[in-house]
Amino acid sequence: MKRFSIVSAVVALGAMVFTALPAQAADPGLTSKEIKLGISTPLTGTAALSYGKVPGAMKAYFDHINANGGVYGRKIKLIVRDDKYLPTLAATQTTNLVLKDGVFALVAALGTATHSKAYAAASLAKKKVPDLFVNTGFSGFGNRTKYPTTFTVLPSYAMEAKIISKFVKDKFPGQAVALVAQDDEFGVDGVNGFAAGSLTLASKTLYPQSSMTDARAKALVTGLSAIPGKPVVILFGTTDVTALIFKAAESLNLVSKFTWIAGSVGGDANTLLALGVKPATIDGAIAASFFPDAKDTTDEYVKEFSKINAKYNPGVSFDNVVLQGMNSAMLTVQALRAAGKNLTRTGLMKAIENKGAKFASAALVPLNYSPTSHIGYNGYWMGQLNAKGELKPFGGTLSVVTTDSTTGPITPSTFKRQSIPKNGIPTNS
Amino acid sequence: MKNIKTRKSLAALVVTALVTTLAVAIPSSAQATTCSKASFTSAGKSVSYQKCTGTDWQGAKYEIRMPSKFNGMLYLYNHGIRGNHNMPKIPIIRPNGYVVDMSVEIAPGRTAADQEFIAQELLKQGYALAASGISTQGWSVPEAVNNNLQLIVEARSKFPKINKIVSWGDSLGGAISQSLSEKFDVIDAAANLHMAGSANSQFTYAGDFMWLFKTFFDPTIKAHGYSSGDAGKAEYFGDITKVLTAFGAIQAAIRANPQTPAWPATSMVPDTMKAIPVRSAVLLIGLLSGVPVQSNTYDASSGPAGPLETSFGLAISPALGVLENGFTAAATALIGNYDAEIKCGGTIFDNTATDYAARLGDNGDVYAAGLTGKASAAGMLSWLNKLNPAAPRVKGTPAAVNCITNEQSAYSGAVTIPTITVSQTADQVTPAGFIQKFKELYEENVASGSAKPGMLLNIWNKPPDTYTKFDAVGSPITPVIPTTGTSHFMYTNADLLIIAKMLANAGKTGKLPSLATAKSAIKKNKNMFIDPDFKPELMFADR
Repeated sequence: MKRFSIVSAVVALGAMVFTALPAQAADPGLTSKEIKLGISTPLTGTAALSYGKVPGAMKAYFDHINANGGVYGRKIKLIVRDDKYLPTLAATQTTNLVLKDGVFALVAALGTATHSKAYAAASLAKKKVPDLFVNTGFSGFGNRTKYPTTFTVLPSYAMEAKIISKFVKDKFPGQAVALVAQDDEFGVDGVNGFAAGSLTLASKTLYPQSSMTDARAKALVTGLSAIPGKPVVILFGTTDVTALIFKAAESLNLVSKFTWIAGSVGGDANTLLALGVKPATIDGAIAASFFPDAKDTTDEYVKEFSKINAKYNPGVSFDNVVLQGMNSAMLTVQALRAAGKNLTRTGLMKAIENKGAKFASAALVPLNYSPTSHIGYNGYWMGQLNAKGELKPFGGTLSVVTTDSTTGPITPSTFKRQSIPKNGIPTNS
Repeated sequence: MKNIKTRKSLAALVVTALVTTLAVAIPSSAQATTCSKASFTSAGKSVSYQKCTGTDWQGAKYEIRMPSKFNGMLYLYNHGIRGNHNMPKIPIIRPNGYVVDMSVEIAPGRTAADQEFIAQELLKQGYALAASGISTQGWSVPEAVNNNLQLIVEARSKFPKINKIVSWGDSLGGAISQSLSEKFDVIDAAANLHMAGSANSQFTYAGDFMWLFKTFFDPTIKAHGYSSGDAGKAEYFGDITKVLTAFGAIQAAIRANPQTPAWPATSMVPDTMKAIPVRSAVLLIGLLSGVPVQSNTYDASSGPAGPLETSFGLAISPALGVLENGFTAAATALIGNYDAEIKCGGTIFDNTATDYAARLGDNGDVYAAGLTGKASAAGMLSWLNKLNPAAPRVKGTPAAVNCITNEQSAYSGAVTIPTITVSQTADQVTPAGFIQKFKELYEENVASGSAKPGMLLNIWNKPPDTYTKFDAVGSPITPVIPTTGTSHFMYTNADLLIIAKMLANAGKTGKLPSLATAKSAIKKNKNMFIDPDFKPELMFADR
């Protein structure tokens, strides 16, 4: 009896000690029932015209996942904060998401200047907050020393510029080329890419963000019209500026004077039409994309995402922005699943590094995540818009190419896209 | 134990401190402390206390208030920087002129009434109060530390029941409070409100701003290296007028044409640079010197409803924030620098080796729109290049630079008692970077064993997410009550009482509140936060 008592006491003590040990604290924004994610993005202001649909699209996709059991039983809650595409406000809102809202991870933050300021202000690196699938092509976000928790998703502006350079040289030899780009990290990333692509520019115009007006656009187009022949004009800015320049060309009756190329940021046809650009103006304009066209209803991702959008985002038309938002949301769900049931911030980032390259996605180019790379997509295809705003492969044949942000070659892609998971619901682990 | 040791050694400490750190004549004795009975009524109850006043050995006035129901703890308060030279009437800056103010402020507060409110609240709870008017104004940390020591001796001698002393201070007073608590084992806990940086960092901040301002807008401003005597005073007053004129011209230009305001007529920059809106130069000055882009009126985000909304928030508001902040920064810089040059016997600022272009860093991209693009920023930076003969650099007087760098700063981050800082994230007089430096110094001291871990709590006060208001025609409205988180803004009485309570508890227990307790204490103020990971940018002299 005595011996038994001692053993019992030891066992009991052990049990007490064990139960008294504090459970490992869960990362913020995580309960057994919920994963709280945050996005800082423009919901108002001029940039919202182009990108304001992103959070709604993401929410719709998460609602679809939540209605189908969530991620290992956890529902995803997306907290949206409006930063108006302004750096100081983005810093404030990102800090609010982390400190006040206590989100587990950030997703799809939009903008280069906005997010670079926000990343530092909210101490995302020090807090190890996963910064997933940022909506900017600034190649600097691939710098893991400066942005250790950031995962890019868009191909970089430098990649895009290199690819456009080759395209122009191949398809429009002998035509003078003029570049109009935003004078900041975004535009300069592109300018560097055009230089890396050895594109000779007859004219280069850099303008500060938010400085373009009707009058300036007209003066710009008038100046460019002095270039002999049919110059190629590359518009490497935001959609509102593309629209201003197109409308200036319309009013000056100079649309057909140029071969227009709009970069991926400023080439969304729906937004251009919504901003009053005439269908005839965009008809024939060239644009770069890494997604299928959102109007291509034969594409399985477009088809599935359109269904989800109709159900969970009623009244919002499906376009390239919605497609991009849903795609980022689907990547997020796959990342959360890949991190497993015992979800942690560190585990989530490791999961993307180790398994992210195999995530299903709508894009026609591969993801490049690995333990040594946080870079997402790396390629583009060139297309031509028609008057309906549909982007069709240039020359009738889809030609996808990939490259890097520095001096690597541009090579035809051999990537084969995975089928979309059944009902758009990932089952990966 | 500590207090026994303190009581025994305090008189010796004072003498040692006076002899070793001050080269001033010490009068033979302090004026005797005189006490009188006083009382006030609170919630229908009379609270009585003794009010004692006197003048210390160095001529500093002091005051002690001792409640009749004393609980053993004394709050020792230090006021912020004041002008050390009389001034004639100068519009906006000193519309009524200025006579050097040597008075005592017994407690923090926005107004004299607020200070009295805080004092009475603490007296009601049984705390004693003491403060020195400080024997000299201007940058006066070493002098003030000694004034404080003398005051402590006097208070303990008069009221032997004092067994705990907590120190608090505002702005320069925060630096004095911190210096006192580090150097002498006489304080049990400290709370430093928007604490000043080191003298070197503060005067570099001021010097950079003034040099950049004059180089862009009026090269006839002297700003540094004033002559001695009346000639120097004339130069100093002349500078104040010129700075006011330039500010007024820029303000008027922006009001007339916010998108492309013209440069002041006094500017000597080339016409090609004048094609850049002057607001971009203002913003650049702020980014290169460390002036916050958020100010009392401008949140660096909001714009008037209408077509200008986004571009105003993006490109104009940050510049206007710098302009509004810069006015106070310039006034403080001129007044402080003039006095410091006299105190240290020469030019205290030296930017002969400063690489302003390198300072822009990521801000060149973040604020590219406000700077009218990267190309414009590069153009303006080239004007600031040290090889440009039209933008001559300032060569400091070695002894005076040494005086500022090594003799006028007194805290090192060697924190051994519970210490709380409370600072604004957009403070233009003592920017948040100063506290980040203090925090880093503390962490270095902990690593080397010269500070105790867990003894520093940083509380921050930020502006609302957005706050700029516009009138019907789209003009910004300057708030009557300064915007919290900006403007070197004194905290509300409610905030001050929360801090006072934390300070008292820390003084009693020798420990800081837990993070959870501290967060709970400040939760009613939506703009206050505690985040150990928050890391404002260091000021340039501290990098």
